[in-house]
Amino acid sequence: MAGTGRAPLRDRPDILVRVEDLTVEFPVGRHEVVHAVSGISFDVAEGETLGIVGESGCGKSTVARSIIRLNTIKSGHVIYHDKDLATLEGEDLRRVRPDLQMIFQDPISSLNPRRRVRAVISEGLSIWGDDKGVWSQDRIEELMVAVGIDPEFGERRAHQFSGGQCQRIGIARALALDPKVLICDEPVSALDVSVQAQILNLLEEMKSRYGLTLMFISHDLSVVKNVSDRIIVMYLGKACEIGTADELYERPRHPYTRALLASIPEPATTVDVAEGNITGELPSPINPPRGCRFHTRCQHVTDICRAEEPQMVAVGGDHFVACHHPVEVALAL
Amino acid sequence: MADTQLSVTDLQVRFPTDRGVVEALNGVSFDLEKGQMLGIVGESGSGKSVTAKTLMNLLPRTAEIDGEVIFEGEDVRAVARERRKHFWGVKMTMVFQDPMTSLNPVKRCGEQIAETLRYHLGHGRKMALRGATDLLGQVGVPEPAKRVHQYPHELSGGLRQRVVIAMALACEPSLLIADEPTTAVDVTVQKHILDLLDRLRREREMSMILITHDLGVARGRCDDVAVMYAGRIVERSATETLFNESRHPYTDALLRSIPHIDQPSHTRLDPIPGRPPEMINPPVRCAYAPRCRHAREDCLTSIPTMGGVTGVHEFACHHPANTDRGDAALAANVAVGVTPAGLHLTAGAGSE
Repeated sequence: MAGTGRAPLRDRPDILVRVEDLTVEFPVGRHEVVHAVSGISFDVAEGETLGIVGESGCGKSTVARSIIRLNTIKSGHVIYHDKDLATLEGEDLRRVRPDLQMIFQDPISSLNPRRRVRAVISEGLSIWGDDKGVWSQDRIEELMVAVGIDPEFGERRAHQFSGGQCQRIGIARALALDPKVLICDEPVSALDVSVQAQILNLLEEMKSRYGLTLMFISHDLSVVKNVSDRIIVMYLGKACEIGTADELYERPRHPYTRALLASIPEPATTVDVAEGNITGELPSPINPPRGCRFHTRCQHVTDICRAEEPQMVAVGGDHFVACHHPVEVALAL
Repeated sequence: MADTQLSVTDLQVRFPTDRGVVEALNGVSFDLEKGQMLGIVGESGSGKSVTAKTLMNLLPRTAEIDGEVIFEGEDVRAVARERRKHFWGVKMTMVFQDPMTSLNPVKRCGEQIAETLRYHLGHGRKMALRGATDLLGQVGVPEPAKRVHQYPHELSGGLRQRVVIAMALACEPSLLIADEPTTAVDVTVQKHILDLLDRLRREREMSMILITHDLGVARGRCDDVAVMYAGRIVERSATETLFNESRHPYTDALLRSIPHIDQPSHTRLDPIPGRPPEMINPPVRCAYAPRCRHAREDCLTSIPTMGGVTGVHEFACHHPANTDRGDAALAANVAVGVTPAGLHLTAGAGSE
């Protein structure tokens, strides 16, 4: 799998975040490194929702965290408004951070248990102020109402709320600074199914109300499809396939994308269930396979896959795949 | 039914706590036939794991249990003390959600499986280890002779879960209870584990109870499905009937609230408003009534009993969905815009 290459980058004036050849490595001692993300390029247009999907260890969270510099970037660029976030430091980085906010997987542990939720939500504002440089109780109450938390409960602490409510508080906190980009890292994975839909709908609502651009990370293929305009499928630190949500699920070309779609309990009708039988184990990211990173488990593997890394190529309108042998599918009507 | 293997009748479990008595199970009844795979689905706190733990005699001593559990003609709650160790773990075994916490991190995988064989079947050390290698092969672990000497941390999540399954199968149980066996693993691994469980239960003519919060998993694998809500089974039938002709408004709403892979992106979801009820001192009413679009006055004063067709399609609801009576209740609520429980039907987003 693997793909490097900047083919999926679009030349459009409304591109808000542009990630080029992002590489992230973590040292694990004895001169070894975990190749968490190895040369990924993609972009997000203003108002778009980008989904990132893949199994644990594929690097999807690392990509998200790198964009807001929660971990160090080895090489590559993250361009936001003509600034390269990958190299910004100190005050410059601090100034840009309110624009990019994040919500996390475990809603309860991501809130400080000792603080009242009003203080949790208003912390960013008390540092930055709102767009006029001031912050008011009105703004906090507006946010709490927007996410569906009764402002009367502002004096309570996190443990007095359910998981779904805590995620609403997390969303209010992220929205307080009027961000342009909201990065959601598995925001509904820890929630019960009946509450998931509430939060997904809330995110859509907030997106249109506050004009947000969303990056949505999840291992759940149905959830990602539901919220996304465009989706990246990742495997072992590389992107395999990028495309619009409907196109990608309708005509998946990469063997790994197809395997994912065939593995879920109610498989997509666009793939054969037998394609879900991936054999073998996920290789170690410390010593990833040469050539295509998926070649050790791929049903279509040939010599070239072991030797040469496939590049991202266009296979239709807004649809890119990094595979030497992309699966043939019926053309769009 | 002649081939009923497990029969649970009016099971009630209460946990006294500082804040009051938690009524975890409020009259759970079901039968399981030999060789059948029953799915129990529900959200956290609905009582599915408590049901499993009650069957396995794993509840803490503080739990107050009422009701009857008959397994292969024997009253499970009256098993004599000296027979217990050859009852649970032999005839009836269980696989838990997180394989890392069910395995001992400082013992080799082979030893852990062998321990089961030595304890329950009295095998010698060598024979037990050979048995362990055999079992690992049967559950699809590659290179079993090498894996028996490895520690759990050396294996991937999927392999660990296979080791746990091998332990559960060691004594050839006739009933296997799997509590969220694939929740902690990735989708491609999940498929392998579920395929394995499916194959094993067919080969060994073993019955299975699969506990899951994932409706897709239940739909794909189970013969029958029981839906739990607030300590009760609210609907039970053959799997396809349940998914195509759901009668309980909770089942119906749950199915409509999850995104489906074949829907176009940005399909608006229809969430269930509100949140699950408190289990301490619940009022005498249908527990789902505050969140239910079909709720009428009778739902707030009496707890519906299991109706429908006994043994075929049962549901506990006064105004079942997709029936004339349910449609009438819904129409009456929509007409005034609010249910007698105070749920506003116009609010699309739903909030907690």
